[in-house]
Amino acid sequence: MTTDLGFWTLQALNALQLSMLLFLLSVGLTVIFGLMHFVNLAHGALYALGAYFAASFAAIWGYWAAFLLAPVAVAGVGVLLYSGFIQRMRKSGPMAQVLVTFGLIFVLLDLTRIVWGDLPLAIEVPAMLGGRLAFLGVEYPTYRLFIIVLGLVVLAGLAFVLGRTQIGAMIRAGVDNDEMAACLGINVERLFFCVFCVGCALAGLAGAVAAPLLSVSPDMGLQILIPTLIVIVIGGLGSLKGAVAGSLIYGFVQTFGAVLAPQLSSVLIYALLAAVLVIKPVGLFPAKG
Amino acid sequence: MLETRNLDKSFGAVHVTRDVSLKLERGERRVILGPNGAGKTTLFNQLVGELTPDSGTVNLAGEDVTALPVAKRARQGLSRSYQKNTLFDGLTVEENLGLAAAIHTGNATTLWSDSLGKAEVREIVKDVANQVDLMPFLHAKVSQISYGVRRQLEVGVALATRPLVLLMDEPTSGVGPEMAKGFHDLLNNLPRDLTLLIIEHDMDLAFDVADTITVLNYGEVVFDGLPDAARGSDLLKEIYLGSWEDA
Amino acid sequence: MFHHTPFRYAALVLLASGALFQAFTAQYFGLEILTEILILAMLVLALDMVAGFGGMVSLCHGALMGVGAYGYAVLSTTAGLTPPVAMAAAVGITAGISWVIGAICSRSHGIYFIMATLAFGQMAYSYVFEAPIFGGDDGLGGIERLDLSFIGVDLNDTRTFALFCLVTLAAMYGLAVMILRSGLGRSFSGVMHNEQRMRALGLTVWRIKADVFGLSGMIAGVAGVLAAQHIMYISPGLMAWTVSGEALVVVILGGLGTLVGPLVGAAVFVVLKHELSSLTTYWHLIVGVILIGVVMSRANGIFGFIENSFAARSKTTEINPKAMEVTKDA
Repeated sequence: MTTDLGFWTLQALNALQLSMLLFLLSVGLTVIFGLMHFVNLAHGALYALGAYFAASFAAIWGYWAAFLLAPVAVAGVGVLLYSGFIQRMRKSGPMAQVLVTFGLIFVLLDLTRIVWGDLPLAIEVPAMLGGRLAFLGVEYPTYRLFIIVLGLVVLAGLAFVLGRTQIGAMIRAGVDNDEMAACLGINVERLFFCVFCVGCALAGLAGAVAAPLLSVSPDMGLQILIPTLIVIVIGGLGSLKGAVAGSLIYGFVQTFGAVLAPQLSSVLIYALLAAVLVIKPVGLFPAKG
Repeated sequence: MLETRNLDKSFGAVHVTRDVSLKLERGERRVILGPNGAGKTTLFNQLVGELTPDSGTVNLAGEDVTALPVAKRARQGLSRSYQKNTLFDGLTVEENLGLAAAIHTGNATTLWSDSLGKAEVREIVKDVANQVDLMPFLHAKVSQISYGVRRQLEVGVALATRPLVLLMDEPTSGVGPEMAKGFHDLLNNLPRDLTLLIIEHDMDLAFDVADTITVLNYGEVVFDGLPDAARGSDLLKEIYLGSWEDA
Repeated sequence: MFHHTPFRYAALVLLASGALFQAFTAQYFGLEILTEILILAMLVLALDMVAGFGGMVSLCHGALMGVGAYGYAVLSTTAGLTPPVAMAAAVGITAGISWVIGAICSRSHGIYFIMATLAFGQMAYSYVFEAPIFGGDDGLGGIERLDLSFIGVDLNDTRTFALFCLVTLAAMYGLAVMILRSGLGRSFSGVMHNEQRMRALGLTVWRIKADVFGLSGMIAGVAGVLAAQHIMYISPGLMAWTVSGEALVVVILGGLGTLVGPLVGAAVFVVLKHELSSLTTYWHLIVGVILIGVVMSRANGIFGFIENSFAARSKTTEINPKAMEVTKDA
C-alpha cells in the first residue's frame, strides 16, 4: 500500500467527483419522494436522456449550449411524464409506482435506441476545461474538478432555496405534511409539478456533465440507477442532508473500497446498505422521524 | 395481577404520563376516566409495550415485563383492544377470531395443518363468538358487518387469546348510547376471573362496569378509588366534567 | 389466505393440458420455450407467495434463483457431489439465505423493503461476479442434469426434461398452496392485513415473515437448480436485478395474489418475448407499454381481470379483492 499523499489526494478527489455526480441525480429523486411519496425508477433513464440530448446539442452548438439546453430538454420530458403518468399514479402504493416507472425504463431505453441508435456516442470535453490543473499537490483533470465545483454550487443553491426562501419553506412544509400545507393555502399540486421538473432537470444536468467522462450508451441509465437508489436509501428518503451524506458515503466507500479491498469492493457498498437498513430502517437522515 | 410503578413518559416537552402507579387485583374491573389528552391511550401503549416508558416498571402476574416486546407480553396474558378498529378487513369474523386463537394455542406457525381446522381453535372461536354476540356473523366478512358489530369483534379478537388481563381502549367509542349500554352488559357477562382495564369516556357508563375507578388528568393519577367515592368527588367533577363540557 | 375456486381449478386444468400438449407435440424449439416458461413459472410462483400473500415485494428473487443455480453448479462440478445431493444442498442453501434475508428485512416496509431486498440481491450478484470460484463474468459450464436412468428416464432428452420441469412445477405449486393454507400461511396473510394487531396478539412477526420468505426462497432455489440443468451453463446475468424486476412484472401481468395468475403471466411473457424479439429488437418497449397499461388500468393482471369479470357475470364465486389493495398500498 502506498503512503504517497498525492495518491490519496487523487483518490479523495475521485471519490468527491463521483459523489457530486450522484448528488445531482439523487437530490431530485429524494426530494420528489419526500414531497410526493413517489418512487421514480425512471430517474436513471432521464439521466441517460440528458447525456443523449447533450451529445446531440454539443454536435450542433458546442458543449456549453448542450450544458444549458440538455437539462431544459429533460425537464420537458419530465413535464410529459408528469402529466401522462406521475400525476395519475400519485395515490397508488409504492409497488404500482415502482412497476409503472420500471415500465418507463423499458420504454425510454428503447426510445433512445430508436432515436440515437445502439452505438455509443462520444462528446468532447470543452477546450476551456481540458487538460489538468495543479491542485493540492496533484495534477487533476480540470473537467473533473469542474464537476466537483458544479455539485457544490448546486448543493449551496439548493440549501439556500430550501432553507432561506419562501418556496423552500413551502417545500419543507409539504414534505412534513402535505395535507397541512394544502390547508395553509399552498398550491401543493403546482409545487409538486415544479419540484418534479427541477428534479428532472438536475438528472439531465448530471447526464450532460457525465457524458464527456463516459461513452453515452443506452444502458447508462440502468447502470446509474442502483447507485442512486443506494444513495437515497442510505441517506434517508426526502432530505437534502440525506442526499449529501448518501452521495459522499457511496462515493468514498466505492472509490476507497476499490483501492483498499479490491476483492470486496463491489460487495462492500451493498453490505453497508444492508447494515444501514437493519440498524436504521429509514436511512440515516430521513425527512420525517 | 397488573401493576405499574412510577411510569413516566415524555414526548419532547410534553409530559404525557407522570409517575403513574396502578395496582389491579385478579378479577378486578377498573375503568380509567379522564378528559381527552389526559394520557389514557399513551398509558395503555406503555402497558402493552408499544411504547417504552422513560422510567418506571410494569408488572404482569408478579413478573417484571417492562423490557419485554409487545408479542411476548401478549403471550404472557396481556391483551388489548383498540379505540380505532384494528381488524383483518378482508377476512371473515371467524377468521379474525381464528387468527388470534391460533396464536394462543400455538397453531400460528404450523406448516402441516390449517390452524382454523384445529379443534382447540374452533372451540375458542365458538366461545368468544358467544361471549361477544358474534355467532350470527361468523361467516360474514368484516366489510359486511356494521360498525357496532365491528366494535364487538374488536373486543372479541382481543379475548380470543384467552388473556389474564384485557385492556380495552374505549370499547364503545363511536356507537350510540343504547348500543353502548348493551355493550356494557356484554362486558359484565365476561368471566369474573378476567382482569379488565377499560378506558371509557362516558362517566355513567363507566359506573355500570367498574369495581374501581382511576382518573387521569394531564398524565397524572388524580383519583383512585371506589365508584361511589368517585361519584361524590368534587375534584373529579371539576377536572373531568369541566373538560367534558368543553369537549 | 389462498382459496381454490372452480374457476381457478379450470384455469389450472387448462394450463396443465396446454403444457402437456406442447410437451408431447412440440419440436426442439417449442420444447425449449416450454421449459423456459416452466422454470420462470416456478420463480414467479415463489415471488407471488410472498408478494401477493404477505406484501413482501421482493426484488431479490432473481438472485435467489441464481443462488440455487450457482449452488448446484459449484457443488456438482467443482465440489464433485452427485447431482441429487448437490440439488438438495443447493436448494437448502438458497432456503437458508432466503430465511436470513427475510429475517433482516422483516422490519422494513413498502419502498424500504423493496430497496433492502434489492440490496441483498445485488450483493449476491456482485459477489458472484467477482469471486473466481463462480467463474466471474465467464460463468460456469459443464453442468450435468440429474441422472434418472435407474427408473428409465433420460433427462438429457429435451422432451423428457420439459416433462420433468412440468412435474416439478406441479409439485412446487402444491407445496405453495399447502404453505399458504397452513397455520403459518394464515398468520402470514394476517400479518399483511394488519401487522400491528398480529404482534399485539402475541405473534413473533419477524419469524413468520422469515419462515415464509425462506420457503419461498426454497422454491426459487429449485427453479435455479432446474435453470442450471436446463442450459447446462450459467452466468452472473442470471442474478442481475433486472431478472427480479422481470419476475415482478410477470407476477403483475398475471395477477398478484392469485397464484394461478403468475403461471399465466409466465407463459404470456415468454411467448411474447420470443414472438416480439423475432419481429423487432425493441421488444422491451412493447413489454414496457403493456406493463404500464396493466398497472394503470388497475386490473389485477390478465388472470385477475378475467377472474373478476367472470365472477361479476356469474356472481357466485367471491373474489378476494385484497390482492388489488396490495398493489395500491404495498
